[in-house]
Amino acid sequence: MRREVPEGATEVRIRIGGPAGFGIKAAGQSLARVFARSGFETFDLTEYPSLIKGGHNTYHLRVSDTPIYSHVLDTDVLVALDEPTVGLHLDELTEGGAIVFDPKAFDAAQVDGVDADHHCLVPVPLDDIVYEVGGVKIMRNVAALGAVLGYIGFPLEPLADSIRQQFAHKAPEIAEQNIAAATKGYEFSREHDCAFPHNLQPLSDRPARMLVDGNEAFGIGALAAGVGLYCAYPMTPASSLLHFMAKHGEREGVVVKHTEDELAAMNMVVGGAFAGTRSMCATSGGGFSLMVEAFGFAGVSESACVVGLFTRPGPATGLPTWTEQSDLRFALHAAQGEFPRVVLAPGDHDDAFHLTWQAFNLADQLQTPVILLGDSYLSDNRRTTAPFDTSAVTVERGKLVAEGDIADHPEALAEDGRYLRYKITDDGLSVRALPGVKGAQQIVNSYEHDEVGWGAPGEDAPTRVAQNDKRMRKLELARTLVPPPARFGPESADLSILLFGTTKMPVLQALDWLAEDGVTINVMQVVTVWPFPAEEVSTFLDAAGTTAIIEGNHTGQLQGLVREQCLRDVDHTLHRYDGRPFSPEQVTEWVKEVLA
Amino acid sequence: MPAVKEFVTTQKPTWCPGCGNFGMWEALKRALSQLGWEKHEFVAFWGIGCHGNGADFLDVQGFHALHGRALPPATAVALTRPDLKVIVQMGDGDGYGLGMGHFVHTLRRNVNLTCLAHNNQIYGLTTGQASPTTEHLAKTVSTPSGVLEQPVNPIGLALAEGATFVARGFAGDIPHLTELYKRALTHEGFALVDVFQPCVTWNKVNTFQWFRERVYKLEDESWDTSDRSAAFDLSLSTFHDLTCTPEECRVPIGIYYEKTGEPTYEQGLEATKVPGWHRAMNPRDVEHIIRSLT
Repeated sequence: MRREVPEGATEVRIRIGGPAGFGIKAAGQSLARVFARSGFETFDLTEYPSLIKGGHNTYHLRVSDTPIYSHVLDTDVLVALDEPTVGLHLDELTEGGAIVFDPKAFDAAQVDGVDADHHCLVPVPLDDIVYEVGGVKIMRNVAALGAVLGYIGFPLEPLADSIRQQFAHKAPEIAEQNIAAATKGYEFSREHDCAFPHNLQPLSDRPARMLVDGNEAFGIGALAAGVGLYCAYPMTPASSLLHFMAKHGEREGVVVKHTEDELAAMNMVVGGAFAGTRSMCATSGGGFSLMVEAFGFAGVSESACVVGLFTRPGPATGLPTWTEQSDLRFALHAAQGEFPRVVLAPGDHDDAFHLTWQAFNLADQLQTPVILLGDSYLSDNRRTTAPFDTSAVTVERGKLVAEGDIADHPEALAEDGRYLRYKITDDGLSVRALPGVKGAQQIVNSYEHDEVGWGAPGEDAPTRVAQNDKRMRKLELARTLVPPPARFGPESADLSILLFGTTKMPVLQALDWLAEDGVTINVMQVVTVWPFPAEEVSTFLDAAGTTAIIEGNHTGQLQGLVREQCLRDVDHTLHRYDGRPFSPEQVTEWVKEVLA
Repeated sequence: MPAVKEFVTTQKPTWCPGCGNFGMWEALKRALSQLGWEKHEFVAFWGIGCHGNGADFLDVQGFHALHGRALPPATAVALTRPDLKVIVQMGDGDGYGLGMGHFVHTLRRNVNLTCLAHNNQIYGLTTGQASPTTEHLAKTVSTPSGVLEQPVNPIGLALAEGATFVARGFAGDIPHLTELYKRALTHEGFALVDVFQPCVTWNKVNTFQWFRERVYKLEDESWDTSDRSAAFDLSLSTFHDLTCTPEECRVPIGIYYEKTGEPTYEQGLEATKVPGWHRAMNPRDVEHIIRSLT
């Protein structure tokens, strides 16, 4: 059923679809920039198969003048750069929704299901426009963007400004050609006789917003934390973080290495940690599978480092460009043996920034690896958010001695004056003297070891137990340092939802929508998934009437943790593992069903 | 300047009596002492294997890596600690088997580190299986019918991938090995010294005696260390069959090839010029990046 859009609506949803290689994402992001700079909130969703040319790519942009938390399924304006786009997305068009298409390429009126009474057909001769302005084929996108703005009655100037800025480093005629194409597209679609209920005009009274995707947020967080080494092997959806770090690394003083494989990346990170450099790598599940042995090495060698694990549907190569939340247990259990680790799961872009710099602090304070557990939904998609609050950032390096003479640190020494890298202490932390510190002979060891780091004495049974106990004590310390769960919604509600990671975004959107319908939900986001905040979760669930868990996997990994750590269950669960993120529509409908 | 004995820890070596690792250990201690390297001026890495057990015996600031993976963490130190020199020790099973990918890629980067390969042509610590450098047709517990692969040619690989210092040593000639180490340790760029160090327990073919009858020193024959093609041809000459007489297969030791003045990987990046921990003394200012996104 086509959803009605109320007259004067200040939210519009635009989808651009077509074959890969048409610059759809870049075009969509230009549009997002135009709206963001005009004071609007935006949230985009890029969906694409794992190939370079062909297939079906789409970019969905949600624009609103009030706060938004996620993408939505509705589309008000569909830009169809090929015929299949119309059929594939017809269902999501709202009542009176527009289809922008090139009449020379195909006739949208002839597509099955298109109904002139309920859809507004906006023919714009994109190819002809490009030909007239003497441009190249990819400029069809720009003409289409102009057409979108013309159709919704939004001024063209911000787009022209954005184009000038985008092409500032190229010959001026390139920008002017693009602007000419946009202008012609704008004029073609300006004259339409459809009833268009939306009313969007540039807003001048709004504070500046930043337009950022998840990987940029991780990258800015790592830079703020003072990262000095970033190693990675390209893997979707983490690759754009490698690009971000490579772009900024030289200027910011970060050694950025695209390694021969993920084995090298993680092993380099452990080496970087040994050197005292704040070191990070990021990948998806397949790459992390290759990193696992070295991840355990970081644990036993008490190496402070940060690993980004950005989930896509697995196992194996899986669905490379889609999203899922199926690596929670993998993150908790990766590597043989037992050692303390911290796993943080950002729920949105602001979380990604703040949890990243905090991850570096936790790694240093605990001398152990920290995982940032994200997914494609966060990494790939761009939204407006308040500029990150960098005044909150601190650098806490823990028990680190970076220079000088270890003799000046008697607490780190044995009775005979020898430095003990793995000295047994009450809190499990030993003084970490970097190589280069005089007298700090040590072996950072992948073997079990004694207090010096020597491997052979580590085989002594009491020594093994003492070192293992010392390491595991750090997990208790971690509980006092890690970020607590986050709470959203009213104190008491019709349904209490527990979740982790990016499910936060559509659920917070649903929370707003449900409230409008008189249904209340409240939410606990498990921010630190390990060590698991069993007490807070139990308190939340105990106080709730009806309880639920929403998570993007098949087996109920968060639910399993609740059963294991809180010795209880929840009343309802919602799972999704088709590669698509939860939508607020789906959550809203499900909550109403559950409460019915 | 630390004396040789100052590089010894209180841990008693656990190598078999007569093990080739002793010769490499001794040569390294002597080279470090003669070069006057203080213990806080360099770091040492080991992979896993009999050679790696030596991590307990050498009193240094060290890192005992995973099996096959000593080169990546060593690279990380080379790239983020310009104030430290880097020594890597790896085994033939370790570095040329599991770690082959890292070996080849580290070579082509010309990272400034010295790689000492303990090549005993067998897996010692795991009790006698064929290694990547075990000779063709050699019978071992994992190859009872004989090894059907050609052995890895580390010298040839290093030359092919642009290594700037390539040498071979013999653990039975400690003074010669010490001199090779000193040359390698002071070379600017990636330096490989592949050392034949006989395994007295598991390799009954390539014994000290076997090598003593066959090795000769390149410098004694006025070898031209600037001729890369000749060095490559020479690397092929060490492939031989097990029954060859000392006259038929001679084993050259010494510097095969050396090129100075080649840019290192580190020299290509400004970010490598400052110790990495200096980058995290305070939060980095990222306001300009945030502004660029508004």
